[in-house]
Amino acid sequence: MDIGEKDKYELGKRDEHNNINYQAPVLSSDWQFGGANLTSAGMSLVPTTNPLAIGSSCASASLVDSFGSSLWEHPSNSQNMGFCDFSVQNGANSSNAMEIGKGLPNSLRSSIDRPFDMGWNAASAMLKGGIFLPNTTGILAQSLSQLPADSAFIERAARFSSFNGGNFSDMVNPFGVPEPMGLYARGVGLMQGPDDIFAVNGMKSVSVMESQKSKLDATEATRDAGLRVENRAKASPLENERKSESLMQPNEEAKQGTGGSGNESDEAEISSRDGGQDEPSALDGTGGEPSAKGLSSKKRKKIIQDAETDRAKGGQTSTKTAKDSPENQQKQSTMINKTTGKQGSPASHPPKEEYIHVRARRGQATNSHSLAERVRREKISERMKFLQDLVPGCSKVTGKAVMLDEIINYVQSLQRQVEFLSMKLATVNPRLDFSIEALLAKDIIQSRAGPSSTLGFSPDLSMGYPPLHLSQPGLVQAPLPVIGNSSDVIHKALSSQLTSMTGGLKEPNQHSNAWEDELHNVVQMNYGTSAPSDSLNVNGITPLLLMSYLVGQMSSDLIEIDLMLLQGHDHPVAKGMRTTLLKVKYKHLLSPSSFCALM
Amino acid sequence: MRSPFSLKQEFLKKWILGLQRCRSSKKNMSIFERKKVIKLSADVAMASARKGTTCWSRALIADAVKEGNADKHLAEKILGPASERQPTEKVPVGAMAYNKRIRSKKILKRSSVIRRTIKCAPQAARPSSIVKTLVGKRRQILRSLIPGGEFMNGVSLIEETLDYIISLRAQVDVMRSLASASKLVNLN
Repeated sequence: MDIGEKDKYELGKRDEHNNINYQAPVLSSDWQFGGANLTSAGMSLVPTTNPLAIGSSCASASLVDSFGSSLWEHPSNSQNMGFCDFSVQNGANSSNAMEIGKGLPNSLRSSIDRPFDMGWNAASAMLKGGIFLPNTTGILAQSLSQLPADSAFIERAARFSSFNGGNFSDMVNPFGVPEPMGLYARGVGLMQGPDDIFAVNGMKSVSVMESQKSKLDATEATRDAGLRVENRAKASPLENERKSESLMQPNEEAKQGTGGSGNESDEAEISSRDGGQDEPSALDGTGGEPSAKGLSSKKRKKIIQDAETDRAKGGQTSTKTAKDSPENQQKQSTMINKTTGKQGSPASHPPKEEYIHVRARRGQATNSHSLAERVRREKISERMKFLQDLVPGCSKVTGKAVMLDEIINYVQSLQRQVEFLSMKLATVNPRLDFSIEALLAKDIIQSRAGPSSTLGFSPDLSMGYPPLHLSQPGLVQAPLPVIGNSSDVIHKALSSQLTSMTGGLKEPNQHSNAWEDELHNVVQMNYGTSAPSDSLNVNGITPLLLMSYLVGQMSSDLIEIDLMLLQGHDHPVAKGMRTTLLKVKYKHLLSPSSFCALM
Repeated sequence: MRSPFSLKQEFLKKWILGLQRCRSSKKNMSIFERKKVIKLSADVAMASARKGTTCWSRALIADAVKEGNADKHLAEKILGPASERQPTEKVPVGAMAYNKRIRSKKILKRSSVIRRTIKCAPQAARPSSIVKTLVGKRRQILRSLIPGGEFMNGVSLIEETLDYIISLRAQVDVMRSLASASKLVNLN
């Protein structure tokens, strides 16, 4: 991960040469990845209490470690910022650093980075918020002596120094600056002193990072001063480079900042400071956009605008760098993992898997709040549509409240059905032995697996018994038109069907026999329990209820019949069945076809 | 999309297994005890058929085995020996702690919301706010219906409801078929 980051750094540096700001978005995304990786790596590598330091120091530590010890001594002697400690600790974990340092794919980069890192460490260790120049000068001198005379390195230093000219004063806390870029920026800033332009550097990085970076910047700055005529003179070209670099830096730091949520306050400070220093000239128009988007630094959204802003400001903090205070506020409230691609923003955001890009519609508020809220609302409405298909009777209703009402009623009815069926099963089976029934049930389920709909609906019944006599569907259908009639009619229909079935074809199907028995029971029930009796024949009642289900018509008359049958019974089972029947009444309102359309 | 038939089969299989595990406990159980056993085993079987993918299933099992539950032993018996338990049963242990934390947070949030709505009652003339309170109330009811619903936010609540409705439907279907089948067997 560190290697990847370094690659990105390299890319960023190259971009600087081209002064292509629009590349920043691409880089920023990469940076963010790298930053995230860096942060995580940092966390694992450095056992430090400072969360920010962990994130940033990780990278820096790795870089630093690869260099050697000489530079470390300086930092340790000087006032120790968090980063320094990290560096030392990282030194202890040098194994990782060394690997990382060796892993740098770009030899040039590594060579360049090393001096930078060394410079960083020294500078960061020595420097603290406030006046860095005097302190850094000495450190820089030391570090400079150790820095290899690399032309490319010098070039970079010069570039970076221009970046961080303004941010140097902002350095507050020592922070393990993993990115060499950040350090470069700091160095530049140091050289040029707190300049508004260097708000671009936007060293809003975590305080720790900033301090470290500032130190490094100081190093760079001094180096640059020595190497170049005037940073000011090169401000413009450096600025461009700085932008691209800072773009990467903020991303890096942003990523690192993720690990250090505790540094929010520091970031706030830094960002506010940077805000003051932000120079519109240095910033692109996108600088304003990010603030509007209110990306949350905590979320580390991939914000190209932020990156650009950061570039302009050299902000190293998380996305909020450019935003400053408004961003800080917004970041608190923005949704997680939602990057809002503002309409005006350059459409150069490479889609990142972890972020959801939302484009503000025409005429709508582009506040991150509202955009995230809109996405959420769309999600909810999309799922409500699914529910509409699932819950019967909801296709016509619109509006959330009514839909939710229907859903609630449906869920309640289903739950009551489960209760009722479990009670029924308890009555039917006194010993809880369902072995035989299990087999039977499996057969039943398999036989009716085609429509896979509930048992109690006529279409299913007719489909479930294809081998049955044709009259059987008639049996099912017959009661339907006579729903409103009394049970006599039903009895007639059933009896006629029974005779036809018994006298007719031989029913090889076990289910048809069962059906026949069921009908027989129901018929008996209808005639046998017309008057409420004290002895509740549970077995008798249940077939009737089952018949009601089977017929598939929760006609009010049928239910009334059942209720009447249960009327005089004080048995709790009867009471339970009564209540269930009432609930079944409600179910009658639901269209049976919807039940058939299961999943 | 999951095939409803396979879901039903799995549910039935688990349900029968659970019932068999409980069968030997008592010889003569009252009807209500039987009903309780049946319902509990059915619920647990339905929840475990989801294999811990959904929140409601985890919450259901967690409620069944939590300490204060009277039927904890029954639920544990149904779930079977610990070695056989699927990851879903293990999840509730951590989920419960997590749920408790979320529950306290939600209670706090809910109380503050209630206070806020009470204060803003006179300003509820705007249609949007009225709709919001209406929807919010219904959401609360839905949360109380779905097991573990208190811990879900808006989007996940609806997803969980969807899955819960599907599971309930399958459960009702299987139970109904089983009831009719056993009835027929008894008659024969």
